[in-house]
Amino acid sequence: MRKRSLRIRPFAWTALIAALVCLFDAAAQAQQPVCSVWLIESSRFMKVPFGAFMPDRAFVPGSNKPESSIPTVDLPVNIGVIKCGNELVLYDTGWKQQEYLKMTGSDHWAPLPDQLKVLGFNAADVTKVVIGHAHWDHAGQLSDLPNAVLYVQREELKAIEWALNYPEPHIRAINSDPGGCYRTPACGYMPLTIEEVYGKVLKGKAVIVDGEMEILPGVRIHPAFRAHTAGSQLLEVPTAIGKLVFGSDAFSSYEAIRDWMTANVQQTDTVQQFLAYEKCYKITGGYNNCVSAHEPLSYTDKYPLTKNSWEALNGGRMAEITLAPGEKSRKP
Amino acid sequence: MPGARSLLLAGIVLVLAASVGAAWLHEMRPQSVVRPAAQTAGTRAEKPQPPALTADEERFATALWAVHREATRSAVAMSFAGIAYQTENRDARALARSIEPLAKFFHDAEIEVRTMSPPPSLSKTHGQYVEALALYANAAAEMLKFIEDGDSQRLDVAHRLDVRASEDMLRVGEVLWPGQYKPH
Repeated sequence: MRKRSLRIRPFAWTALIAALVCLFDAAAQAQQPVCSVWLIESSRFMKVPFGAFMPDRAFVPGSNKPESSIPTVDLPVNIGVIKCGNELVLYDTGWKQQEYLKMTGSDHWAPLPDQLKVLGFNAADVTKVVIGHAHWDHAGQLSDLPNAVLYVQREELKAIEWALNYPEPHIRAINSDPGGCYRTPACGYMPLTIEEVYGKVLKGKAVIVDGEMEILPGVRIHPAFRAHTAGSQLLEVPTAIGKLVFGSDAFSSYEAIRDWMTANVQQTDTVQQFLAYEKCYKITGGYNNCVSAHEPLSYTDKYPLTKNSWEALNGGRMAEITLAPGEKSRKP
Repeated sequence: MPGARSLLLAGIVLVLAASVGAAWLHEMRPQSVVRPAAQTAGTRAEKPQPPALTADEERFATALWAVHREATRSAVAMSFAGIAYQTENRDARALARSIEPLAKFFHDAEIEVRTMSPPPSLSKTHGQYVEALALYANAAAEMLKFIEDGDSQRLDVAHRLDVRASEDMLRVGEVLWPGQYKPH
């Protein structure tokens, strides 16, 4: 009898410890706050040739293949609005249309502070801004968010600075051609945008990130270097519908992530873009919770995460993606 | 009894009258104000495109571009000098090494552009560009003064000058190079 109890005891202890670990883990997960998430369309770039956005979806006249049958697409510029407890975080900040920056060919722009008001938030309430990268159409309007701390990767800044100091004039140029540029190393970083980044640094409201960083419990920055630009970064967000991963232009297209195609190739290493897609699959368990910056199907049933949408200011759209327990709906 | 030709003629007249009537009704019907969200995208009236430049204006834009390409680079480099100073080792000598060539560039560029002869239609645009270069030059000068006296308010002043200069440059760009920034 005594012998048998001795034999059982190690098993019982192991089981007890395992049960406690499970309970502790579950409790820790239950305690980890989940966030509410909305998506704002900052503006829309109209009639962009599909092939310029996704090379594998280029229009082929006369082709019967569905993937070659769409000549142009309208690309939203999406901003993530993330509320975790008392913290209000933005992922990307769009750009600011002015009389000196009309961007003919874009439509539906509205000021970010006004768009936040539609959701019942004040621009001054934004506590953190994570920019997926520092291109002009993703890192604008920073000066309209006076209290927000900016998070930008050191790798992003280093790469721009490297390009600026390169001897070959085309490589170091912000604008390599009067007609615009896409893929030269410093292209897309317009002076006004970088001055806004510097403005945050000057006010002591910038965090230069080296790789991965947890900015709030469960809210993690992941580096995605060269997945769109040298210092691209993703943002993992815990929610009631599972983890979301915001990708800015590393995740330019939801369909591209789903179908494993490259999209919006700028200062991009396409291999790294696929690895960024993989990161989202690993973190979220699939592609449906990857939040894309420019997906043409945004705010429709064909991009299910964003389908709970409505039309707001100047025809721009918004979506309520998920609410934390107790959080009220902000959809009109 | 009417002949077959008369019947055919009457038929054609009837079809034409019906078509005219239908077209009239379609034109007179008030347009629906409320449209489903999915149909509103891309159906607005086309925005007016900026007028094309004349040959003289094109020549001026091309001549100015050579300066502009380097000016935008230098403007971003000035911000980066400030970022590096604030986020790395606050090395005033390194900041001076970065700013001095930029100050010289903006000073020289202002003189160069001021002496250019724009067509009369672009005299305002030309003036805005000269002003932008002067603002950048003043910003660089403020940063160099900060290196001398350590008054950090000079950096705020320099930043404000930079922002104004960049806005002016974008104003010029709207006229001369409206496609200079693409969706990224």
